[in-house]
Amino acid sequence: MRYVKWVIIGLFWLCVAAFLHYTLPQRDIVRIVNTYEERQELNDWTRIFWSRPDDQSATIINRDVQFIQGVTPEGRPKVYRNEDTSWSWPPYFKFDTANLYTEANDAISTKDTPEWVAITHYGWRNEFLSIFPNAVAIKPVAGPDVRLIPWFNIIVLTLLAALVWAIWVRWRRFRQRRIDPVIEDVEDSLYAAGEAIEERRGRLRRWLDSWKSK
Amino acid sequence: MFGLLRLVVVLLVLQTVTYIGLSLYSRAVRRGKLARWWEEKGKTGDKEAFVARGLKAYDKSFRRKLILGVYFVPWVLIAVLIYIVNFK
Repeated sequence: MRYVKWVIIGLFWLCVAAFLHYTLPQRDIVRIVNTYEERQELNDWTRIFWSRPDDQSATIINRDVQFIQGVTPEGRPKVYRNEDTSWSWPPYFKFDTANLYTEANDAISTKDTPEWVAITHYGWRNEFLSIFPNAVAIKPVAGPDVRLIPWFNIIVLTLLAALVWAIWVRWRRFRQRRIDPVIEDVEDSLYAAGEAIEERRGRLRRWLDSWKSK
Repeated sequence: MFGLLRLVVVLLVLQTVTYIGLSLYSRAVRRGKLARWWEEKGKTGDKEAFVARGLKAYDKSFRRKLILGVYFVPWVLIAVLIYIVNFK
């Protein structure tokens, strides 16, 4: 039973970590090589990995999506989708998809004269599910080896940890003061009741035994 | 614009739940503190009256109004985020 408990707790924190990893912004340094637009079918469960840029798009089963293709300094391909998040989840409030597409096209460069940019994005790339991270911002950087410090994530994760800890400490204090004594009380009276029944049964047995022939 | 409406409604509900919860919690903490002060200050006068007076002062305090930040801070953050993501 103890293992089941730990597995459930582990799965819970794994889900929290996956959720944060999907939702929080990350930055890649890439060279943008091309952009394209492709019709996407959005009528299966992987719909949750695509945006709802406006109200109509919630019911549409396929639509055109913009993509930005990049290559990392190591030569690995990175493909991003470029969609508005609008007012829905995750709360990036991105409305400037067309502007970002223009910036991406402006930043296209060749291998010989590379122009490095940092692409801020959230989400996951998965080849089997055909899902793509959503690009949020493009900033030019000095070179492929620039060190980017994720201040936003540091602040958000610190605040989140502080909040969880504050609630957890208060909940534990509350439990120790209010709930544990009550449970102990109930246990005590249960034991007392159990002992009383035991005693009575003992007496009954003795009485029954007295009728047995010796 | 339905998306905006949904955001506003969901956020308002969450904010109201948080506001009520925080208000009740904060008042309970203040009540406990007042009771402790009364013990420490030598237990002069009626305890109930001391706590009641303290809570009345707390109800009018700036500290309590800070909890209203639950309603304002998220909207400010959203406005800043919209500016940074789209116009900067």
